[in-house]
Amino acid sequence: MSGLFRSPDFLLLVYKLAICFYPVRFREAYCAAMMRSLRDAIDDCELPNSILVRTLLKDLLVSIPKENLAMLRDTLSRPLLLYNALILAALSTLLSFGLAVIPQQVLRLGANDPQVEITGNLKVLLEQGANPSPLVSRDIVEMSESLSPFTMAFDEEGRLLASSAVLRGTSPIPPAGVFTHVRELGEERFTWQPQRGVRIAAVMRHVRTGGFILAGRNMREVEARENLATTQAGLIWVGMLAIIVVGTFLFGWFSKGPKAIAA
Amino acid sequence: MVTISHPTPAVFAILFSLAGGDRHGYAMMKDARTPEGGGVSMGPGTLYGTLERLMRDGLVIETDTSDDERRRYYRLTDTGRAVLEAELARMDSTLKAARRRGLFPAGGRA
Repeated sequence: MSGLFRSPDFLLLVYKLAICFYPVRFREAYCAAMMRSLRDAIDDCELPNSILVRTLLKDLLVSIPKENLAMLRDTLSRPLLLYNALILAALSTLLSFGLAVIPQQVLRLGANDPQVEITGNLKVLLEQGANPSPLVSRDIVEMSESLSPFTMAFDEEGRLLASSAVLRGTSPIPPAGVFTHVRELGEERFTWQPQRGVRIAAVMRHVRTGGFILAGRNMREVEARENLATTQAGLIWVGMLAIIVVGTFLFGWFSKGPKAIAA
Repeated sequence: MVTISHPTPAVFAILFSLAGGDRHGYAMMKDARTPEGGGVSMGPGTLYGTLERLMRDGLVIETDTSDDERRRYYRLTDTGRAVLEAELARMDSTLKAARRRGLFPAGGRA
């Protein structure tokens, strides 16, 4: 095996293969000269073969990474290439932002759908003179645990008349500002946080004959899906940026680029 | 003018070799290996990578001459010579200081 390494033809062949690891531009500029220098070194009787092989190995280990790093620096200093990479990075950031925000909005708005229907139906019944207490579901919902929708009825001053929801044994009441707002606009869809960590997708409507009706449900699952969508969008973003970075460097590696020297 | 505050051993060896006249690749590698040339074992990758940067900085140029074996010859520019002289002056003053401190016998080999 050691005899094989001493064979000039074998050494030249291996070295020619090793030159493939240099950047294309460097290879094209110096491959022939490097091979010529190696032939001169092989022909040099004063240079022992073992020292030549050791020098070549050390040289390849040092100069291949060095020239590739120099190529990366040159690639980054090419304004057009850098400009294209930045544009692509900006587009991918925008796209990923859309991928994160749009599903989040769709999920959040969709979380109101049952409550919109429930409050709509109850509002009609209450405006027809029905008593709120029997209309509110009798199945008590623990707001912090259950994902089932619940309903609440309030009088015109915002006092609780009936509720199918409890939170640690009591029925919480939304902030007073919500009632004022709903009294003016007729309806409000909002995220209600009656307790830290408990977030409710709530819909409140004003009843023309007096009072308010509220339907809500815990957003735990919806938020878990929102988080999943955000994570996926983040991963897609990182992946796209990685592709842009690798693609830019590969382009720099394979392309000749501007010739910096007059050879 | 390009200033290289502390040339690497490879840069110094190449500039020093070319100070003796135009050289092709292997001649520079051979010069660099000698103790007086810097004692630097350089392979073709390091040599041509360094030459490229020296040419980019205007310290070395490639000549139009080529021999029968199609070797490429390189030449030191005035800037390259100035950089080499500055480095030699720096080394000389260091050597003088070392002698003054008794680290080197007067007239001893550098």
